[in-house]
Amino acid sequence: MIRVRNVHKAFGTVRAVRGVTFEITTGQCVGLLGPNGAGKTTTIRLVTGFLPPTSGDIAIDGHDTVEDSMAARSLIGYLPESTPLYPEMRVWDYLDHRARLFGVGRAKRKTSIGSAAEQCRVADVLRRRVGQLSKGYKQRVGLAAALVHDPRVLVLDEPTSGLDPTQIRETRSLIRTLSRNRTVLVSSHILPEVEKTCDRVIIIAGGRVRADDSPQRLIEASGADVASVACTAQVFAPANAQREQALGVLRGALPIGAEVVVQPAEGDWTTCVIRGCATDPREAALAALVRAGIRVREVSRATPTLEQVFVNLIEQEA
Amino acid sequence: MSRAWAIAIREYAAFFRLPLGWVVTALFIALSGVFFTRASLAPGEPATMRDFFGMWWGLLLVICPAISMRLFSEEHRAGTIESVLTAPVSEAALVFGKHLAGVLFLLTMLAPSLVYVALLGWLAKPDYGPIVSGYLGLALLGSLYLSIGCLASSLTASQTLAFLATLFALVALDILPRQVSPALPERLGRLVGGIAPSLRMADFARGLINSAHAAYFVILSFWFLAVCVVILQSRRWR
Repeated sequence: MIRVRNVHKAFGTVRAVRGVTFEITTGQCVGLLGPNGAGKTTTIRLVTGFLPPTSGDIAIDGHDTVEDSMAARSLIGYLPESTPLYPEMRVWDYLDHRARLFGVGRAKRKTSIGSAAEQCRVADVLRRRVGQLSKGYKQRVGLAAALVHDPRVLVLDEPTSGLDPTQIRETRSLIRTLSRNRTVLVSSHILPEVEKTCDRVIIIAGGRVRADDSPQRLIEASGADVASVACTAQVFAPANAQREQALGVLRGALPIGAEVVVQPAEGDWTTCVIRGCATDPREAALAALVRAGIRVREVSRATPTLEQVFVNLIEQEA
Repeated sequence: MSRAWAIAIREYAAFFRLPLGWVVTALFIALSGVFFTRASLAPGEPATMRDFFGMWWGLLLVICPAISMRLFSEEHRAGTIESVLTAPVSEAALVFGKHLAGVLFLLTMLAPSLVYVALLGWLAKPDYGPIVSGYLGLALLGSLYLSIGCLASSLTASQTLAFLATLFALVALDILPRQVSPALPERLGRLVGGIAPSLRMADFARGLINSAHAAYFVILSFWFLAVCVVILQSRRWR
């Protein structure tokens, strides 16, 4: 379990983290999101014990990262951003070195390395030098190194950066598997990936926690405010008069307060965007258009994404 | 201790995985061969290695910065320092492990020179006492130079800068007092001359194991390593 309580971190006059508080229990996979300079990496470095907080406290399974730093660190498997490795070492030697640093005994080391290599699909390159591996393999070696001592807490900073789509899917599935009996904190810029991987999302901006909930609940909660939550209707309107007609029909059919905007035509088809409806306007819009004899190709509802929630929060911050 | 040993093993092996380790070793063996033939194999000269050890001092002045320059600079440059210091490894264990690796590598480089001792024993009857103390002096001198190198390397992510800073510091510590001390009044001159590690090394080469000299090397090495630990810990205060 990770417990972060009212943590502040200042570098001289720059306050990178201001009063961050959250708790992650075992079995949870939490995504840490934030724009560059939001305090995301600093938060991760505070959690891993690389930096001490200026005030507040952080505990890993009850071990304070400052007072009981060694015990706290021994529980964490950490994959730093950009996956720093020793290029001259063979993969086996590197994993063996990491296992030694975490005090894994001689008898258990071989099994631990084998298990981590299997999980991260690097068993076929154990005898190769790290520097000769592709970016994807290096990333997986870094992940295997974070897992080699079977940590209770995993902290992964951009774990899928540089991977191809297949590898991203595999890594995502691995992280989900690992989070079943561990506490996992993942930092990522790839929002759809966080949406698919994590049970919970913490959005940080300006060193403060701006949102902390499940992706679904964050989207639902923000739905009413998100301006782009809308319906679109694509109608056949090759001429200006037909576009005006469709616009008039939609405005007449929808309740007061609804806003209808016509987007530039794509050939003979024009997309009308409907916003500001309290209820789903699709049925009413479709019925009105059909009654008016206007050909309709598609009526759809644009559901908000985590990305939109994120952008809105960041814009509010700015 | 086991963490420091794990660091030392990795670092020691890295010297042989990288071209730098082999180049430095080759250079060291070649130059020590030249020194030996000129200093100890000259006809009519006594069967000692005193002059040989004297020449090695100059060699260590360049070799030690080359050994130590990558110890921390490379970790800073590649970002691996973050992986190491988020493992349950203290800054002191990291510094001690790295320094130990450097000393072990230096001793490995010195090992082939034992052939010269065997050669000297085969050709003449040398007094082995000064030879043993000479090697002890070299190890202590090397340890001190490497601790200064560790400190310089912990301050920068540039290996070149670490090399030059160490070289400059060694010249300042060793050559300046040797040059300045003769021009000073006798007591002050002795005091300033006492700063130069190589002058203390000269006693070891003569076969004198002076406990004050040994303490000087050990304490000064620890002092530079302790400063290095503080430098690494300072990221916590910034």
